Formats: sequence, structure tokens, C-alpha cells
Amino acid sequence: MDAAAAKLIGAGIAMLGTIGAGLGIGILVSGAVQGIARNPDASGDVQTNMILGIAFAEAVAIYCLVVALLILFVG
Amino acid sequence: MNNTRPRILGIPNRYLTLAIIVLGIFAARVYAPVLPHIQVAPERLSHQPLFTLPVIGPFYLTNTMTAMVIADIILLLITFAVWKAVKSGSLVPQGFSGAIEAFIEVLYNMTESTAGKWTKKIFPYFGAITLLVLVVNWTELIPGVDTIGILEPVVEHGNPIEQVTSNIYTLIRPEGGTDSDHAAGFTLIGFVRTLSTDLNFTVALALISVFMTQVIGFQALGPGYFSKFINISALWNVFNKPMGIIDFAVGLLEIVSEISKILSFSFRLFGNIFAGTVLLFVIGTLVPVLAPSLFLMLEIFVGLIQAFVFGMLTMVFMSLATKGHGDHEEQHDH
Repeated sequence: MDAAAAKLIGAGIAMLGTIGAGLGIGILVSGAVQGIARNPDASGDVQTNMILGIAFAEAVAIYCLVVALLILFVG
Repeated sequence: MNNTRPRILGIPNRYLTLAIIVLGIFAARVYAPVLPHIQVAPERLSHQPLFTLPVIGPFYLTNTMTAMVIADIILLLITFAVWKAVKSGSLVPQGFSGAIEAFIEVLYNMTESTAGKWTKKIFPYFGAITLLVLVVNWTELIPGVDTIGILEPVVEHGNPIEQVTSNIYTLIRPEGGTDSDHAAGFTLIGFVRTLSTDLNFTVALALISVFMTQVIGFQALGPGYFSKFINISALWNVFNKPMGIIDFAVGLLEIVSEISKILSFSFRLFGNIFAGTVLLFVIGTLVPVLAPSLFLMLEIFVGLIQAFVFGMLTMVFMSLATKGHGDHEEQHDH
């Protein structure tokens, strides 16, 4: 196996970490939508907090993406 | 009745769109798009450094710096337009400045509902960061960004070039496929590259945001703010209440969380926008016509969300810092 192939495989494995972020965002949005369905008046607050939570969960996925991009395009 | 349809230069928009699509198909057949060489560090526009600092080293003119100048000019134009609208004396701003007012008002109301009496202190950071990051992210969508620039001879990852007119050259695909890994040739260094794809910019913004959070926390709570990090009183009473040692350790973890804030702020913005540009490169190479428009729309959305998230997280962290020690025990910090 040469270095280029190893790089591609490594980038693919690095992106496995996005599974966690995907699960997290899914759970988060499901909770937020249920909350809005029960109390539509609170939808503004719920949405703001939901976007904040999504940003935190997404950050993990972005770390994976950055690692994958670094593997692919640096060095 | 026909006059009600939107027109540009007297031509109905749909014919214009159709003409542009046909032109795009034609152009993509004549000069097939080339996947540019992708690198994380911004490219240098000149070989001579701009200036050299004694300890830090030489500074080069990079193509993200031109993007910074463009974004600053756009922000100044927005400021000037709004300033003129305010000076004109009409209480209800019209058109463009009205849109800016609505945008600012949404941000201000959001700050007010979170920060309370500290709104006047916190809102400038929120507004400035959101507007700057928004403008910077959307410069990615200007045609010619990343695609117009100077050609540099390189040893590997090169492409052959072809003359279009007397002074203009274009990269073309090498003979026999797109695999140009080990060929000598030319590579393109764009004059402008989106500023958010430069880690220097995102880390600088994150440092400003986190540092000013500490400053605002200090202004709100006085020296007691730093007992959040180094909990001396808990350590002092450790013989009476042995569990205080845990409070002290939690304070140390707060320091770690402040540092991780810098990392997550900077890498979130950088990762999203850099991935966006790479996505646009790849899609533009694979399907040069029609498909990039959809991804440009996605990039508008991503740029807005990231600008908003950067500003809003700054605002939320600042307003958490102004509140006392007991209030933020439940603060979830990645």
C-alpha cells in the first residue's frame, strides 16, 4: 500500500467521528421539535438553544473534517 | 402585463438565465474546468516578504489579505449607506439601510433577552463579529474569487496552460484524464481567497472573543470573577469542608474550557468554510453547469449560519460571564 492510498483510507476513517455528531444533532432536534409541539409559544427560545446545541454537536464533526482535510491536503 | 416580469437591461430574466446556462455549457466544453491544487495555508502572491519582524519572521502578501481588504471596503460602504440614511433625517429607513436596521434589530433583541442590563456592553461585539464574518463568508460567492489569479510554474500537481488572448492564459486539463499528480506545469494562485479559509483570521477572532469575555466578566463581577478559575476560598476552607477540593478542581477545568473555546470557535468557522470551498471546487469540476448553483445556495446558508453561530456564542459566553458563580453550574461546555 503506498502513501497516497493510506492517506485516503486515513481520511475516510477520520470522518467516522461524524457518526457521533449526527446522532447528537438528531436527538437534539427531536427533543426541540417535541418541545415546540407541546408549547408553540416557546418556539423562539427553544430554537435559539437548539441552534446553540447543534453548533456544539457539529463542532465535533468539524474537528473530524479538519483532521481529514489536513491528512489529505497537508504534507 | 408583460412589463410586470422582472427584467435586466430590457431582457426578461428567464431568457437571460437561459442564455447564461447555454453559455455555461459552451464554455465548459471549450475550456474544461480543472481541479485546483488545494492547500490549507493561504497562498503567497509575491516571493518577496512585505516586511520582516525581528523575532517572528517575514510577512508575505497572501491572497486572503486581499479578501480582507475587500470585506473591509464592503463593510465601510454598508456603514456609509446607513450613516447617510440616518443623516437624512427620515425616521423610517428605506431600502438597503432598512434591511440593515431589521438585521441589527433582530441581533439587538436577541442580546437583550439573554444579557439583560449588560446589553449595551455586549451587543457591539455580537454585532461586529456577526457582520464581519457574514461579509467575509459571502465573499466566497463573488465570481472570480479563487479562479482569477497568477499562474505559477510548479514541479508536481501541475497543469498545462493555453493562451486565450494576448495576456490571458487558462489552465487546461492534461491529455488523458485528470490525473496530474506528478506532472510539471502550472498552478493557479487566486488573487482573492475567502478570508475564513485562513486559520490566522479565525484564531484571531476567537482570541478577541474569548479575551473580551474575560474582560467583561471582570467588569461585571470585579476580582471575584477569577475565583471561577482558581477557587481560593474553597481551598482555604478545605479542612472544614474537604469536598472543597472538588470545587477547586472544577475551577481548573474552567480554565481548560476557556482554552477549548478558542479551538472550537476557530476550527468551526475554518472547517465549515474551507470544506465549502473544497466542495465548490470538486462540484465545479465534476458537473460544471447548473449543479454549482445549488451548492452556492447551500454556501449562502452555511455562511449565514456560521456567522450567526460565531456571534451568538460570543454573546452567550459573555452574558454567562457577567452572571455570578452560582448561576452557571449547569453550563454545558463541550
